Amino acid sequence: MTKPNAQTSIFSGVTLAALAAVILMPLVLPSATLATEILIFAMAALGCNLLLGYTGLLSFGQGIFFGGGAYIASLSMIHLDFGLFGALVAAMIAGSLLATLVGALAIRRTGIYFVMLTLAFSQMAYFLAYTLSDWTGGDNGLLDVPRPALSLFGFELADLTSSYAFYAFVGVLFLAIFVFARRVIHSPFGTTLVAIRENEGRASAVGFSTNHFKLLAFVISGGITGIAGALYAMLLNFAPLSNIELLMSENILIMTIIGGTGSLLGSLLGAGTIVLLGDLLSSIWPRWMIILGVALIAVVLFMPSGLWGGVESQCKRWKERRCTAGKTSGKAQEAK
Amino acid sequence: MQASKWKKLLTVAVLSAATTAVCSAEEVTVYGVKSLSGSFASYGKYADMGSKLAVEDYGNLLGSPVRYQAIDTEGNAGKAVRKVQEAISQQGARFFNGATLSSTALAIGKEVNKVGGVFMTPAGADELTGSDCNMATFRWSVPTYGAIHETVEPMIKAHPEWKRWYTITPQYVFGEALLSNAKAVFEAEGIEHVGNSYHSLQEQEFSGYLTNAMAAKPDVLLLLNFGSQSSNALRQAVNFGLKNQMKILVAWSSGLDQLQELGADVAEGVYFGAQYWHTVDTPMNKALVKRVREAYDMNPNYPMAADYIGTTVILDAIAKAGTTEGAAVAKALEATSYQGPTGDEVVRAADHQVLKNYYLLKGKAASEMQDDDDYVEIVSSGKSFPDESSLECTRS
Amino acid sequence: MSLYLFQALNGIGLGMIYFLISVGLTIIFGLLNFVNFAHGAYYLLGSYLCFTLVSLTGSFWLALVIAPVVVAMLAWVTEKTLIRRAYHLPHTFHILITLGIALIIQELSIAIWGPIGKTVAVPDALSGVISIGDFFYPKYRLFVILFTAVIALALWLLLERTRFGALVRAGSEDAQTVSLLGTHIHKLFALTFALGVGLAGLAGVLAAPIRGVHPFIGPEVLGLAFVVVVIGGMGSFSGALVGGLVVGLVQSLMTTLWPQGASLMIYGAMAVVILLRPYGLFGRA
Repeated sequence: MTKPNAQTSIFSGVTLAALAAVILMPLVLPSATLATEILIFAMAALGCNLLLGYTGLLSFGQGIFFGGGAYIASLSMIHLDFGLFGALVAAMIAGSLLATLVGALAIRRTGIYFVMLTLAFSQMAYFLAYTLSDWTGGDNGLLDVPRPALSLFGFELADLTSSYAFYAFVGVLFLAIFVFARRVIHSPFGTTLVAIRENEGRASAVGFSTNHFKLLAFVISGGITGIAGALYAMLLNFAPLSNIELLMSENILIMTIIGGTGSLLGSLLGAGTIVLLGDLLSSIWPRWMIILGVALIAVVLFMPSGLWGGVESQCKRWKERRCTAGKTSGKAQEAK
Repeated sequence: MQASKWKKLLTVAVLSAATTAVCSAEEVTVYGVKSLSGSFASYGKYADMGSKLAVEDYGNLLGSPVRYQAIDTEGNAGKAVRKVQEAISQQGARFFNGATLSSTALAIGKEVNKVGGVFMTPAGADELTGSDCNMATFRWSVPTYGAIHETVEPMIKAHPEWKRWYTITPQYVFGEALLSNAKAVFEAEGIEHVGNSYHSLQEQEFSGYLTNAMAAKPDVLLLLNFGSQSSNALRQAVNFGLKNQMKILVAWSSGLDQLQELGADVAEGVYFGAQYWHTVDTPMNKALVKRVREAYDMNPNYPMAADYIGTTVILDAIAKAGTTEGAAVAKALEATSYQGPTGDEVVRAADHQVLKNYYLLKGKAASEMQDDDDYVEIVSSGKSFPDESSLECTRS
Repeated sequence: MSLYLFQALNGIGLGMIYFLISVGLTIIFGLLNFVNFAHGAYYLLGSYLCFTLVSLTGSFWLALVIAPVVVAMLAWVTEKTLIRRAYHLPHTFHILITLGIALIIQELSIAIWGPIGKTVAVPDALSGVISIGDFFYPKYRLFVILFTAVIALALWLLLERTRFGALVRAGSEDAQTVSLLGTHIHKLFALTFALGVGLAGLAGVLAAPIRGVHPFIGPEVLGLAFVVVVIGGMGSFSGALVGGLVVGLVQSLMTTLWPQGASLMIYGAMAVVILLRPYGLFGRA
C-alpha cells in the first residue's frame, strides 16, 4: 500500500486521469452531447461498480434507480417548478429510497437468488412505470422535460441550453461524484465492502454486520444512479420508458463489466467504449452487438478485470521493462 | 482550480462550435431517423432503403445534389433523441424523416421544433398531430380514428348481419385510442360490443384472451394490437379455429412485411387495415413499385413507401420555398397537395396531418395468389379524419 | 363458470409448455451448479432451425427430431470450448458468459434469418380443433401437452432409473466424490449441458407453430423459465413441473381476472417465493 494521502487526495493520478478525460472528450468526440451521454452512463456505471466491483453484488435493478431518478427529477421540475439542484437532489433521494427498498429485500439472499430478486423487482418497476402513464407518459415517455439554468439563491449563473455548457456542468458533477466514490472506497467502509466481497463469512465472523454495509452500498449506488437518470432526462428533455426497462439495467452492467469491475476509471472506460461502439458501428454494421457478446465472453475467460485491467497490466509491464532496463528497480516497484 | 477549468471548457466550447458551424448554406441534407439495429430492425431497414431511394431519385435541389444521412436509433428513444440533437447542433441539420416508435417520434418532433426544422414521420401516436403537435412535426400515417373508421365501417356496411364484436386491446395509450374510436363507431352503427380483453405490452401468449373471446360468441373479433403481438394473437386465433367461428379484423397491420411473416395460410379470410399496399392503382404508386423492383428487386412495403414519400415531400417543399430555412419550408409544406402512393394526398395546415387513404384488405387463399406477394385483395379504401373543429392540436 | 374451467384447462396446457421451457435450465443448475442465461437463446435457435427444416423438407416431424439434436450438439461444443472454463467461477460470471453467448446467438440469427419474424405451420395431421362444450381447443396444443408428458416421463425414468441419472443425481450432491469413483465427470457435465440445452431447443420447436419465430423472443423465454424454476426450486425436476403448472394456471386465470397484471403477478410471485422459501417449493437447501 502506498501512503493513504496519495490514495485519497483529489490530486491523485486516478482523479487527474478522470479530469483529463473530462476535458479531452469534447475536443476529440464529434459532439458535446455524445460526450455528455458517455459521462452520464459512466456515472451510472460508477454506481453499479460500487455494488458489483466493490461489494460483489450483481444487480439487475440499476435501471429502476436510473429510470426512477429520471421520472422524479422530471416530475419535480414540471409540476413543482423545482430548479436544477432541487431536481437533482430529488432524483438522488428517489434513487436512494428505491435502492433501500430493493436492497433491503434483495440482500436477504445471496448468489443467484439475489440476482433473481433484483430481476423480479426490475420487471415490476417497469410494469408500474407503464401502468402509471398519467405520471410517466407510459409508452410515449415523459415529454417536455426542462433543462433549468444553473442558479444559486435565485441568481442565474449560467444558461445550460447550449450542449457545451451542459457538458461542462455534467463534467463537474461527474468529477465530484468520482472523487466522492474514491473517498468511499478508500474509507474504512469501502475496505469492509471489499472484505465482504472477498469472503462474506469471514467478514461477519470478524464482527461486521455485513447486511448493513451491503444496504448502505445499495443506497449510495442508487443515489448516484438516480442523479445519472435525472441528467439523462435533462439532456434529452425527455424521459422514455426504456430508462426503466430490464435492458437498461443490462446495459449498465455490461458497461461496468467490460470497463473493469473494481476500478472507477474502468467505469468511465466501459461507458465510453459501449456508447461509442453503438454510435460508430450501429449504422455501419447493424449486428454490432455480436462484438459485445464476444467481449463479455472474453472478459470472463481472459480479462476478469476488464478493459481497464488490461490497460493497467500493460502499463505495469511497460513500466517494469523500463525500470529493469534503467536501474533494475522493478522489484522495488512491485513490492510497493 | 474550478474557475480555470470552466474557462478551459468554455474555450473548448467556443472553438469547437466555431469550427463546425462552417458549412455551405444551400446544400440540402435529409436525415433519416431509422431503427437499423436493435429490436425494431425489421422496420428501419426498409424505411432506410425508402429514404435513400427518394434522395437518389430527386437529383438536384437548389442547384446542388441532395444528400442523405441515416441516424440509427438503435431501437432506443433516448439514443435517437441524442443523435438528432447532435445532428442539429454539429451539422446544422433541419430536415428529418422517419422514426418508428411513437415515443421516439414525439420526442424528436420537439427537438426539431426548437430549431424550426421539419420532421415528417409515419409513427402511430395520435398525439403527434394532437395534443403534442407543433410547427415542425408532420405525420404521414392515418390516425387511429381513420384506421378504425375505414376498416370497421365498411365491414359493417357490407355485412349488416355481423352485429356482435369482441375486441382485444393492448393496455396503453395507443391501444386505448383505437379502442375508444371503435366504441364510438359501434355506438353509431348500433353494434353490440360484447366484450374487450386488455393485455399488457409484453404479452405474447393469447390463448386466455382468445378463450374469453370464444365465450362471448362474437361475429367479429377485432384485434387492436400491432407488430409481433398482433401476429401472435392472429396465429393463435387461427390455431384455436376462430376463423371458422367468426370474422377476424386486424385494424392496424403493418402491411406486406407482416403478411410475409404470417404467410397465406394464416392470413386467408382475415381482414387487415393498412396504411399502404403495393398494388394500389395510382400513377405515383405504379412508378414507385417499378422503381423499387428495379433498385431492390422487391415490392415496396409500408415503411419503404412511407419514408420514400415522406422524404420526397420534404424535398418538394424545400424546392417550393426556394430556401433551406426550416420555418419557410414548414410553411410551404402546409396545405400542399400532391400525388402520393395512395393517390391524392393533402397536408392539412391545422394539425400537419397528411390526409390520405387507409385500406381494408382481405387475405386470399394461397391458390388464388398471382405472385409471391399477392396476399390480399383490397376491399375498400377511403379517407376519414377527425373534423377540423374537434382537433386537439392547439398550435399557436 | 365453464369459462373458468376452460381457462384452468388452458392453463394446464400452458404449464406443460412452460415446464418444457424450464426443465433444461433446472437440470443444468442441479448438476453443474451453472446458471445458463443463454437458455432463451437456444430456444430461439430451436425455433429457427425448425422453420428452416420445415421449409426445406416440408416435414414438421423431421424438424422435431433433428432441430433439438442440432441444438444439443452446438451446446456440447460450446460446453467443451467455453462453458467448461467458467464452472469454477461464481454465479455472476456464469451469467456474464452466457449473456454474451445469448447476444451472439440472437444477432447471428437476425443476420441469417433476417429481422422479420417467421411462421411455422401446424402439421396437417394436427391442424384443426376439438370442441369441449362451448369451447374449442387446438389439436396441436393437445399434442404438445401429451408429448411433453411423455418427455417428462422419459426424463424422470432417465434421471431415476438409469446409471446416467444416478450419476447426475450423485454429481449434483457431490461432484468430487463421483469423479473419485472413476467416472469422467467432464463427460458427464458435457452430456448434461447438451441435454438441458437440447430440451430448450425442443421447447423452441414445439412452440414455433404456436408463437411463431421472432428474433427477440429469447429474453422473454429466459425470464419465464427463471420464474418457473425459482418458484419450483432451482435444480428440482418435480419443482419445474409444479412451477410450470402454477405459472401457466396463474397466467391463464389472470387473463379473465386482471390481465394487465399477469406479468406483475408472476414476477411478484417469484420475489415472494425467494423471500419466504428461498429454495422454492421443491428445492433442497
